[in-house]
Amino acid sequence: MKSIHKHSGDSSIRTARRKDFLLFMLPSLIALMLVLAIPLAYSLITSFFDTNLKYQGLGEFRGLQNYIEVLKDTYFTESVLTTLKFTVCVVVLEFVVGLVIALLLNNIYKARNFFFTIIIVPMMITPIAVGLIWRLLLHSDLGIVNYLLSLIGISGKAWLADSSLALGTVMFIDIWQNVPYMVLVILAGLVTLPTEPYEAAAIDGASRTQSFFRLTVPMMMPTFSVVLLLRSITALKTYDLIFVLTRGGPGTTTEVISYHIYQQAFRYLEIGKASAMSYLLLLLIVPIAFLFIRISRSRTT
Amino acid sequence: MKTNKKRALAMLLALVMLFSLALTGCGGETAQKDGEQSSTGKTTLNILMEDVPDTSCVTALLDQFEAETGIKVNVESVNYSSMHEKILTQMLSSTNSYDIIVVDCYWVGEFAAAGWMAPLDSYIEESGFDTSVYIDSMMDMVGQVDGTTYMLPFYNYMLSLVYRTDVWEEQGLEIPDNMEDYVEACKQITANTSGSMAGAVMQGLRPDPIAMEWCNYLFSCGGDFYDENGNNIINNEAGVKALELYVDNMTNSAPAGAAGFGFDEAFNVMAQGNAASYVTYNWMLPRLENTDESSVAGLCDITPMPGGVSLNAGWGWAIPHNAADKDASWKFLQWVESFDVCKARAIAGGSPTRSDVMSDAEVLEACPYLETVKTIMEDSKMIPIMEDAPQLIEVLGRELSEAVAGAKTPQEALDTLAKEMANMK
Amino acid sequence: MYKRQTKLEKVLTYIALTVIMLFFLLPLLWILRTSLITKVEAYKIPPNWMASLTFDNYISIFKDNTFGQYFFNSFFIALASTVVSVLLGAMSAYWIVRCARRSDRMKLAILVTQMIPPVVMVIPLSLIVKGLGLDDSYIALIVAYLSFNLPYVIWMLFSHYESIPRELDDACAVDGCTRAQTYFKVVLPLVMPGIMSTAVYSFIVSWNEFMFALNMTGLKTRTLPVAIASLDTQQGVMIAELCAATIVAILPVIFLSIFIKKYLVQGLTFGSVK
Repeated sequence: MKSIHKHSGDSSIRTARRKDFLLFMLPSLIALMLVLAIPLAYSLITSFFDTNLKYQGLGEFRGLQNYIEVLKDTYFTESVLTTLKFTVCVVVLEFVVGLVIALLLNNIYKARNFFFTIIIVPMMITPIAVGLIWRLLLHSDLGIVNYLLSLIGISGKAWLADSSLALGTVMFIDIWQNVPYMVLVILAGLVTLPTEPYEAAAIDGASRTQSFFRLTVPMMMPTFSVVLLLRSITALKTYDLIFVLTRGGPGTTTEVISYHIYQQAFRYLEIGKASAMSYLLLLLIVPIAFLFIRISRSRTT
Repeated sequence: MKTNKKRALAMLLALVMLFSLALTGCGGETAQKDGEQSSTGKTTLNILMEDVPDTSCVTALLDQFEAETGIKVNVESVNYSSMHEKILTQMLSSTNSYDIIVVDCYWVGEFAAAGWMAPLDSYIEESGFDTSVYIDSMMDMVGQVDGTTYMLPFYNYMLSLVYRTDVWEEQGLEIPDNMEDYVEACKQITANTSGSMAGAVMQGLRPDPIAMEWCNYLFSCGGDFYDENGNNIINNEAGVKALELYVDNMTNSAPAGAAGFGFDEAFNVMAQGNAASYVTYNWMLPRLENTDESSVAGLCDITPMPGGVSLNAGWGWAIPHNAADKDASWKFLQWVESFDVCKARAIAGGSPTRSDVMSDAEVLEACPYLETVKTIMEDSKMIPIMEDAPQLIEVLGRELSEAVAGAKTPQEALDTLAKEMANMK
Repeated sequence: MYKRQTKLEKVLTYIALTVIMLFFLLPLLWILRTSLITKVEAYKIPPNWMASLTFDNYISIFKDNTFGQYFFNSFFIALASTVVSVLLGAMSAYWIVRCARRSDRMKLAILVTQMIPPVVMVIPLSLIVKGLGLDDSYIALIVAYLSFNLPYVIWMLFSHYESIPRELDDACAVDGCTRAQTYFKVVLPLVMPGIMSTAVYSFIVSWNEFMFALNMTGLKTRTLPVAIASLDTQQGVMIAELCAATIVAILPVIFLSIFIKKYLVQGLTFGSVK
């Protein structure tokens, strides 16, 4: 933690520090303020009001009433569980698969770019198109997937209409689209790892598995924790894909928090309730995020 | 220095809050400006609309409007669910990028309550436009709200039963006159063909597809949302019967994935010749005749719902309350809804709302099925025009899907719906 | 780098990668096929392998729908927003890691802004944009995209800066370099692979973004995701055109692979600088 810059307290260093701040931080802070401050404040304020976009103004002040109502709504509380299930499954699976692919790619030189370019293509497709295309592929009656399965004697499934399969299908499609992200980030970390420790380990006769767990994992820990954290946040907010694939159905099996937020905000125009839901989601994520930050810092120091 | 920073931060926060309060208030100012009619002599009009079959018929004729009036028209079409989102920002701002919008029938109550549509009565009076040419059920739905005209009916997408004439004949069956027998017949077709031909293909996706389809079952079984006195009767005997039949048909005659189909997937099952009937939008019929999309051209027809009452639905043209030049917008509405243009649109494959167009000889020659559509439409019902209709559709869709998925019995699902409907306006 | 691989291991690696690649590639090939046939063929089961191919779908999206313009809009907006976020974010991340007194709190504060779903952010943001008269302009989307790109860039680069030994900076300071000199001459080159992969991802996220684009664009600045979503119409999903548009939308991967090649494949190894 202690750097030379911090040691001496004389004023020239302090002005240098201030200059650095202006150069390094100020532009970002201004940009962030510009785009984030007002929307965040707006949603925080409206979460305490009976704000409906149909009517002018903020509406009646409701205190915590929005929050209480939302928490009393069993459809919402059930969706919290679905969201957690979805997030944990996709993040873990995407991470594991992404790590394996990145390790394999890091082991080859020939055609690495070729494999990599093809693997990241699914990421380039906008989620709405991904949803619509997979609806074509998975069409229970007219889809290629069920047809191919029937060729090998497996009877087709109603992938998106069967309440026991729908969530799994959505997860699968999410994985298809987002594994490339994991590969991209993890591979970027792997190629920057120093080579000396591995050479030393090889001389000591360490096996590949040993050097993976003793060298790669600790050195990659900061990257791992960041991708897990950032991906968890985006997964908790997943909305487009579910909106196109199932709209929360069949029944309520794929209703996630952001679907409720969407419904309240854009369908019912109840922006007050939607904001309250968003801030509840935030309360859910902040402790996890804080924990992550603590863990990743203790690892690096 | 530290306290300075803190003070600055506090100031900034206060500013942000003030600004956001001002922001929420700014909707108020604009609404008051409504009274004054603006005439800036706009030479370009922007329309935000839905890509329905009639949209291309309208765009094809735009040159004619430009030649007549010198006004250029841009049509921006977006995906259905996106449209409601996109309109929001425009309606809440002091100006609107769009001079004309189209409004879906179940947004009408909401838009009227919010004051987002400019009343058209004074324009209608001034220009002598005759609104009695519209079919009454269209005018009640996407025309007037509580005696004020906010829209001109643009397009109808009433649902009814589309079926394969050849298959029903082969099976020696006729379209029954009640829902119970219809569901039985569908199950029989599925059983007879061991599933290769589904008796009915259905659209079980939440919320609008399933809600819209089921309403036909509801109305045809004699049920409704409210009775004449405004009492909620959704969960009465007829309603429960309708849902039981719907679930029965979904489980025993529709293809396995139908509980997750949107209208496009269901259409494709029909178009590939794998289904014998489909309760759907009347515009599907011309599409089933299009060989680029369908392999059953010439084999389908439309008929009244078994039980007789269909769900009517449609879009209406409206001028936003904050449109820049309402006179110019009206000029366009007057043109696009004139008899000649409506007739041309109908012949090109549109979906007319004017009674005189629907009984025009040339139109009927091009689209003979419109005669049936017109008679069905006259007896049809609609989703109640209410402020919270979007909620109604969402909750209805969810509960129907719960019943189809087996998570609730039809009675439980409709009871939940009735309970939530008590809080809707 | 690792222990020398045996021939067998190498072959197995390539086989494994090929299988994995097929998992991603096969759906893409199906998209390509669908983009070259009509809708009625697209839903035929069993598939008609001999279906006649047509470029009509491509012609239709470029002629009737000006996808060329949408492509340019998307590309320009995504690129501009990425460049701005990387320029600003790379420096800020460095400052937070090396100089900030309460770096944990700053990190958390930046992250918290990302936890509110865009659904609630988009209404106030597009009202501001509209109020300023900036709707249907490039600048509105470029700036709006900073709201997620900038925090992302900052966050992704923390770990890259943290993996560089602090002694390196200190050594430079002893040599009389200012913070800025240290950063641009010594630190920046070392984190280039990280910056590139971050930039690639941030480009892709902007490329795919839908909700802000829907609410802030008009016909002039419409981006690909909005245009593609509008192919899901009220007269059916134009699946063949949609696949054609998707094929067009994945083309920039060629452009991205140039950066990827430079920084990931050739892999500037960190070990050489010490």
